[in-house]
Amino acid sequence: MASPFESYDDLEDADERLQAADPAERRVAIIALGHSGDPAAIGHLARMVDDPDAGVRQQVAMALGEFDGPEAAAALVKLLVDPERIVAAAAADSLAEFKDPASADVILPLVKHSHAFVRMGALRALKELRRKDTLKPALEALQDGDAAVRVQAIGVIGFLKLEESIPALTSLINDPDAHVRRAAVSALAFSHMKPAAETITRALKDEDWMVREMAAETLGLNVNGAVAADQLIASLDDAFWQVRLKAVRSLGKMKIERAVRPIGNCVTHEQANLRKEAAAALGEIAGADGEPFLVMIANDPDPDVRKNARWAQHQIAAKKAKAGA
Amino acid sequence: MPLATYQTSVPVVVDDAKCIADKGCTVCVDVCPLDVLRISDMTGKAYMAYDECWYCMPCEADCPTGAVTVNIPYLLR
Repeated sequence: MASPFESYDDLEDADERLQAADPAERRVAIIALGHSGDPAAIGHLARMVDDPDAGVRQQVAMALGEFDGPEAAAALVKLLVDPERIVAAAAADSLAEFKDPASADVILPLVKHSHAFVRMGALRALKELRRKDTLKPALEALQDGDAAVRVQAIGVIGFLKLEESIPALTSLINDPDAHVRRAAVSALAFSHMKPAAETITRALKDEDWMVREMAAETLGLNVNGAVAADQLIASLDDAFWQVRLKAVRSLGKMKIERAVRPIGNCVTHEQANLRKEAAAALGEIAGADGEPFLVMIANDPDPDVRKNARWAQHQIAAKKAKAGA
Repeated sequence: MPLATYQTSVPVVVDDAKCIADKGCTVCVDVCPLDVLRISDMTGKAYMAYDECWYCMPCEADCPTGAVTVNIPYLLR
């Protein structure tokens, strides 16, 4: 939609300025075309993808990000393979904002490009388009030699939420790259299949703390996550407080009553974020045995911890009143 | 709002060599929520006219040529 405050109606004038000898003037014209929001500007911008000035091409890539659809995507695809990294990076960022599934037709061929950055950018762009025919190339890209490409391929598969992709995702739990393992664990969140929950549970023992953190968080989102309650309780002793925090949150979400005491032991941790999360989880579970822990943090130096503790006490009182009534 | 008297003493510094405001660019002026930036009548370049920056950063982030630098005070970092 065009800005209510400014008018860039005169595309002919902009086109004239796009031919200016000074690259700065061409950039200004491109900015105006991007801000116009007028789909007719896409054609004018597309003609600038071969501009000799890299800064101008970068500006074209940024301006095309204001639009959506196959025409703008086709121009951005040309900029994604630009030899200048600043141009290709701007094109990748803009393509990632696209939502029109029809854009996938021009992006898909780049999944096989010889440069890893282009393959990565193409897969990143396909993610939010959620087209079923992107599953096969994404599954193939899981074998890519570049870890960043594999991470983006997992993103495409994760957004599609198809149970048929679960075996491929679970196999990535042994990937040599921690970022890939972390992304795979995250993508398994949607699955209703038992093997997915089992794989996420195994990831709680991963050597990398960020994978363990993601596993602890994902179990709270997975429908079968409760089967791993005991392993999540064990994660409350993890060396990294970040892992403990996610385990606390997931146990609270799942309302695991036997977790009250282990969670309660977190309320005295030096990290205020963990104390705050523990208080909230005690409120979610609302078990009466959580009260002594909440009393301990009633005067916590962090106001958010005190606030969550008070809320949790109200939850416990409400549960008691409901049981009595 | 207090007028910014010395260009080097204000939080938002514009590199005149990179600034393309004289070519018609007004991105930093448009995005500033406090309207403290102006295009100089003398040089045609952007500058901070009023010293009331909130350090919200879009002027630096959106500048197409990277000409704008926002110097955030140490205590706000």
